[in-house]
Amino acid sequence: MAETCKQFLADCGINPDRLTLEWASAAEAPRFVELITGYVNRIKEKGETGTAEGEADSATIRRRLKAAVKAAEARKPRSALGMLAKKLHKDGEYTKEAIAKGVSSKIVPALRAERIKEEIMLLLKEGPMDIDALCSALSAKKEEVEKPLSQLQKKGVVEEQDGKFKLKGK
Amino acid sequence: MAQENVLEKENEMAQEGFEPRILGFFCHWCCYAAADSAGVSRYQYPPNVRVIRVMCTGRIDTRFILEAFRCGADGVFTGG
Amino acid sequence: MCTMYCPRPVVDTYNERLDITRAPHIDYAQAIPSSYYIDAKACLRVNYETCNLCAQTCTAGAIDFTQQPKELDLSVGAVVLAPGFGRVDEKVLEKFGYGRYPDVLTSFEFERLTCASGPSEGHIVRPSDNKPPKRIAFLQCIGSRDETCGNGYCSSVCCMYAIKEASVAKEHEPDLDISIFFMDVRTMGKGFDDARKRAQEKYGINVIRARVPRVDQVDGKLALTWTTGDGEHHSGLFDMVVLSVGLESPEDADLISRVADIELNHYNFCRTSVDAPLVSSRNGVLVAGAFQGPKDIPESVTQASGAAAIASELLADARNSQTVTVTYPDEDKALEEEEPRIGVFVCHCGVNIAGVVDVKAVRDYAGTLPGVVLYEDTLYSCSQDALKSIAEKIKENRLNRVVISACSPRTHEPLFQETLRSIGLNPALVEMANIRDQCAWVHAQEPEKATEKAKDLVRMAVAKARLLAPLEQPTVDVTPSALVIGGGAAGMSAALSIADQGYKVVLVEKGRSLGGNLKRLTWTLDGQDASRVLKDMVKKVKAHKNIEVLTSAQVESVSGYVGNFTSTISKGSKTQMINHGVIVLATGGREYKPKGYAYGDSTRVVTQLELEEKLSRGKGFLRNAKNVVMIQCVGSRGDDMTHCSRLCCTQAVKNALKLKEAKPEVNVFVFYRDMRTYGFYEDLYREARKKGVKFIRYTPDRKPEVIKLSRGIKVRAHDELIGDDIEIPASLVVLSTGIEPGDNEELSKIIKAPLTSDGFFLEAHAKLRPVEVAVDGVYLCGLAHGPKSLEESVAQAKAAAAKATIPLAKGKVAVAPIVSKVNQDLCIGCGICESLCPFNAITLEKVGKRKKAHTITASCKGCGICASHCPTIAISMGGFTDEAIMAQIHAFSPEGCEEE
Repeated sequence: MAETCKQFLADCGINPDRLTLEWASAAEAPRFVELITGYVNRIKEKGETGTAEGEADSATIRRRLKAAVKAAEARKPRSALGMLAKKLHKDGEYTKEAIAKGVSSKIVPALRAERIKEEIMLLLKEGPMDIDALCSALSAKKEEVEKPLSQLQKKGVVEEQDGKFKLKGK
Repeated sequence: MAQENVLEKENEMAQEGFEPRILGFFCHWCCYAAADSAGVSRYQYPPNVRVIRVMCTGRIDTRFILEAFRCGADGVFTGG
Repeated sequence: MCTMYCPRPVVDTYNERLDITRAPHIDYAQAIPSSYYIDAKACLRVNYETCNLCAQTCTAGAIDFTQQPKELDLSVGAVVLAPGFGRVDEKVLEKFGYGRYPDVLTSFEFERLTCASGPSEGHIVRPSDNKPPKRIAFLQCIGSRDETCGNGYCSSVCCMYAIKEASVAKEHEPDLDISIFFMDVRTMGKGFDDARKRAQEKYGINVIRARVPRVDQVDGKLALTWTTGDGEHHSGLFDMVVLSVGLESPEDADLISRVADIELNHYNFCRTSVDAPLVSSRNGVLVAGAFQGPKDIPESVTQASGAAAIASELLADARNSQTVTVTYPDEDKALEEEEPRIGVFVCHCGVNIAGVVDVKAVRDYAGTLPGVVLYEDTLYSCSQDALKSIAEKIKENRLNRVVISACSPRTHEPLFQETLRSIGLNPALVEMANIRDQCAWVHAQEPEKATEKAKDLVRMAVAKARLLAPLEQPTVDVTPSALVIGGGAAGMSAALSIADQGYKVVLVEKGRSLGGNLKRLTWTLDGQDASRVLKDMVKKVKAHKNIEVLTSAQVESVSGYVGNFTSTISKGSKTQMINHGVIVLATGGREYKPKGYAYGDSTRVVTQLELEEKLSRGKGFLRNAKNVVMIQCVGSRGDDMTHCSRLCCTQAVKNALKLKEAKPEVNVFVFYRDMRTYGFYEDLYREARKKGVKFIRYTPDRKPEVIKLSRGIKVRAHDELIGDDIEIPASLVVLSTGIEPGDNEELSKIIKAPLTSDGFFLEAHAKLRPVEVAVDGVYLCGLAHGPKSLEESVAQAKAAAAKATIPLAKGKVAVAPIVSKVNQDLCIGCGICESLCPFNAITLEKVGKRKKAHTITASCKGCGICASHCPTIAISMGGFTDEAIMAQIHAFSPEGCEEE
């Protein structure tokens, strides 16, 4: 879960170190205090979400996360996450590498595809856009955008007009 | 050059006074208990974390983390 | 009303006569029973047949002056004496200016001054001028360790309470200058030395080892003179002097002794013995608390449970013969289904929360939140009367959701859930905001930020409360047997008590025979033959039809939960599975093996236990002995073990006396840091000094050294009084090596029971639940909990047995309704949840033609892995639904950020 979130956060333009997973048992109050203090200080150095190096601006992040939450609800990426967890559990393999590899090859692509689809909808709600503008707003390659776009067109949600895409009926 | 320096300085100052908003997901049995016990021992730590208690970190859904950042979190601390 | 209208002022004895109340009154807010009573000595109606105002004004008509004293005849199977302690005579205090100088207070009075609900609302003021003092002195051992007043014993609790009172005062008034005058700093309880260290390092409290003989008044200030260990004389002026008065036997001890026909000891406390510390000289009459000897709250609570266990043993046959069943009113389902009507109660917790967080601001903020129809602050939400008033307010305002903004749900949620149940609301409809343990206590220096955090936490709790739904309360049957891990004195005592109460016990000992550390003890501290105590215990255990003993055996794994544990026990190459309802941890501790001090290099350097073994074989080894040197705190209170091992001082004194008995002309030197011969053991210390044993204090920066010579050994140490190093050629050096924890890590992982930083098992709550572990159904006793004497181990074992038999006797335990629930309409039968569940609590079952997941409620621990990994979001968690958590996340943002 944590690895998925980290990789997907990076995909959404957020520094993945903003998420941390730590362990402190009931008996380890001093360790807890150390962890929490260290973590708060690290976040203090990073500054607000959207201001650290390599992060997207906060408006983009908000839009992207809105799409991302929807993506994380979708059955496809959730199945991918569940199946990977099941496989790792069965194999008893919990090395960092195995988890990271599984997540980057199986789950994140599924999440990203859903995220792009959802984000297209959000972007087009604001007004018509051409394919290049969409690609740059989505931080995605042309082929990544074309596929969901044509799906949406087939569904009749999106239509093309003068080289620009817009929500039907808008 | 001078202009940049000033900007950098200003940026630094802003960072110093910056109080991040952090959301914590704490396991009832472990981290939440450790946090209670830190209280009993009167250890002091920065007041930036708001805690949601869950029965286990396994409960935490990807959506929760994403939603937390969408709601303006500057960090999410999951504690098992 | 009655208190308000009564014309007769009386001195408020609960507040140590520092305040005034009226003839009808209640002692304090949390008093039980929580009803008002009339002080018959002061009442005008009772004494002069006038007035009667209170009876007329009482709207409930609860005052009845025709009541007469009644005599009741009760037939009972056991009697527990718990009359508490008595006060030191004021004549003793007069020596220190008490009664003559107004600013000389007792520690009891000072305690009231520091209390938020006390006469000065927690402000420390001098009685003479109502001004805050700047310099305060605490004088220890007032009425304790003092033969001139007849109290030769140590009261055991005053060192720690003085440090606590001083710390509380410093927390309130950081600029105070506080000095505590000790003879020895006796903070030998679990974790107490840490608290002492904190008081010195964090609060800057001065620890002075000197006895102040008298108190004088000079220009409105109190003058003290004292002599320190180096022989220097000092003097100083203080604004306030607090006398740390000791605990005496109850004033009516003689009467109790006559009425109950029991023997008292030479200090008028109840006489008991080391192997049966809770049993008086009369069969069936038990004792608990300070009447058995001065002791603190954790120990009193432990003894109380222990006495209950013995009473239960005596009454085993009569169990369940006169039970009364608690009935709850039916749930008001219609109200529960209405739109949320939320009540928020913000707790002061005395000064614990209100001292940091602006409680009133938080309360008013709560009132602005959607769905909140009632918002109030309470002084102590968990007190009986507050609970009652919360219940009434819920009813009056027809609340259907409650938010308690106070301490941790881990400790207090059950209490508030019970309150809801008692008035016909589902217990799942209460939510807590933890603004004490995780806010006020940990952000004490940042009150504004702590208040902001408290508001945020309340906002999040209210958001969750809006979405709380009633949950069913499932119960499961209990396997009526116990697993006791460890076959030492504690384990055997616990096993015997549980077995005597009529339940099966499996006693697992990893060694080859029963006995643990008791096997190595020669004499008990009260001089009994330890081997006889051991033999008796082993015999009883082996003969008991309810106890199965497994030696050379180890616990490999434990699964399940309270009422239904399954454990794997290995014995050699064989393993066996046993089912049991509860677990008692009695894994013991062991003698610390010293490093340095030439231990192992010279046969003349031994540990106290090794000395006992030598002594038990006869006194031949002392034939040529001239000087025996004992060194205290070897390993303890230092680098290897930070804790105090509690026993070693008394053990050293006991063995020093044995040496003197065996050979009176031998010189015995004891190098110590603080002699901690607490309670009646102080008698042994005094006797040792009378017999010429020399006690020399050392400081941790100047530890005594043991130097090996070509022939023999010598000890070099610094003598504070002489101001120089001394050297003693020693025939024998005895190291008081202390107690280290056993191998608890492995078991701690298996049972998921936390350890302290010292490696002992951590109790659920030091005072309220001293023999329970944070894991339900697991109990704790003996050295596994921390260093303690045989007597204390036995009492604690009985207490653990008392607690352990509660679920066994009930026969059913309630499962927390936080379990998962599958919406089978959404489930696609993928089986991910089944494979991931760590408790095998979810299975696939056939529903029609398709497979669907199904939760086994009794096994589910509510971890929620299934829910977070379900592709179709078909699983919801009781009390922690996706919607509720999402609502909390949205409320995390101050502006709110629900989906538009």
